[in-house]
Amino acid sequence: MAGQVSGSPATGSWAGRLVRNLLLWLLPAVAVWVLCTPFYNRFLALAGERLTRAGEFPAVTRLYVQDTHQVLVTRSDLTGKDGFVYRFRITDLHFNLILTVAFFLAVPAVERRRRAENLGWALLISVVFHILILFFFVKFVYSTQLGAWSNEHYGPVAQNLWGFGKHLLDLPFKLALPFILWAGFYFQDFQQNVRRT
Amino acid sequence: MRASSPPPQPNTTTGSAWRRYRRELGFLILFVLILGTSFTLISWNPVNDRVIEPFTAAIARAGGATLNLLGQQTTMSGTIIRSERFAVNIRNGCNGVEAMLIYFAAVLAFPATWKSRFLGVGLGFVAIQLINLIRVVALFLTGVYLPKLFDSSHTVIWQTVVILSGVLLWILWANRFAGTPPAAPGDPLGPKNAPST
Repeated sequence: MAGQVSGSPATGSWAGRLVRNLLLWLLPAVAVWVLCTPFYNRFLALAGERLTRAGEFPAVTRLYVQDTHQVLVTRSDLTGKDGFVYRFRITDLHFNLILTVAFFLAVPAVERRRRAENLGWALLISVVFHILILFFFVKFVYSTQLGAWSNEHYGPVAQNLWGFGKHLLDLPFKLALPFILWAGFYFQDFQQNVRRT
Repeated sequence: MRASSPPPQPNTTTGSAWRRYRRELGFLILFVLILGTSFTLISWNPVNDRVIEPFTAAIARAGGATLNLLGQQTTMSGTIIRSERFAVNIRNGCNGVEAMLIYFAAVLAFPATWKSRFLGVGLGFVAIQLINLIRVVALFLTGVYLPKLFDSSHTVIWQTVVILSGVLLWILWANRFAGTPPAAPGDPLGPKNAPST
């Protein structure tokens, strides 16, 4: 119901309730993420493949999910065993969803409708971000991980661009994304409610 | 009859949106700038070789010493901790530097006095490195006794725990230690409008 404030009765400070809720929501968020991961990995591989192929002439990249958590990067213009070029854990790209869900569900005294809307936007932005990381990962593999083939097809500037882009997205921004999204939607709530000294 | 055009109205949409969301936007822009700049800096080879690598080696020594106290009989070589049963190489992403920089960026971007920011940075450095030491030790023990869980534990579980710890520390700091600077005129969270606590 719109306008209804969800959460338990207000006991303790706002920040204290935020921390308690965060810890309480963590395990349900993990459970949902674990259940959704096999389907999400397939969706992500498909979306990443489409994005990569959109910039290829001819389109040669194929991404296959293997053993639920791995993705195989293959190229149809390379024959035999060379067609398979790289394998990495696709699950590692999106575990930040656990923290995103927990952060958004933990904020105390928020209308249910506003909470659902904010979480929906955050998940949508996260999905776009994951597709972008996967794209950068594939380009990083092509430009830096295939030895002579990489050097033949990518110059030093392109190798640095894809390598640094993948590094920046995969480490700092992947890890910080849940906090960035949370701050984007709830910074005013947080600032209005933390204790002023 | 001459058609008269309405008098030009000042376009206030952008201005009012900025005024409405300036706290979030200000915080987020500063946070992303500090985070991006600091990661670019530590990715630069001279900084990586002279600062990050020695720092990571020190973490390996501390982790190895702690494991020896737990009876693991490890030896350390640079950033590698090794025993007869298992070995780990601590690399960027596992040395706690990323979590620290995310936390530092959040502390520095939050409106507070410089004194409380320095306090937050100091406390956060110690706390996050302690948590990371626990992570290194726990991961090594996972590799020795539960090797099948190592991959998931390495990325999903411990990276989530370390980032969550950083955010919880930031909430604690903002709630308890962050002295607020004087509010700007017209600030919706200025003295007249700030909630009493």
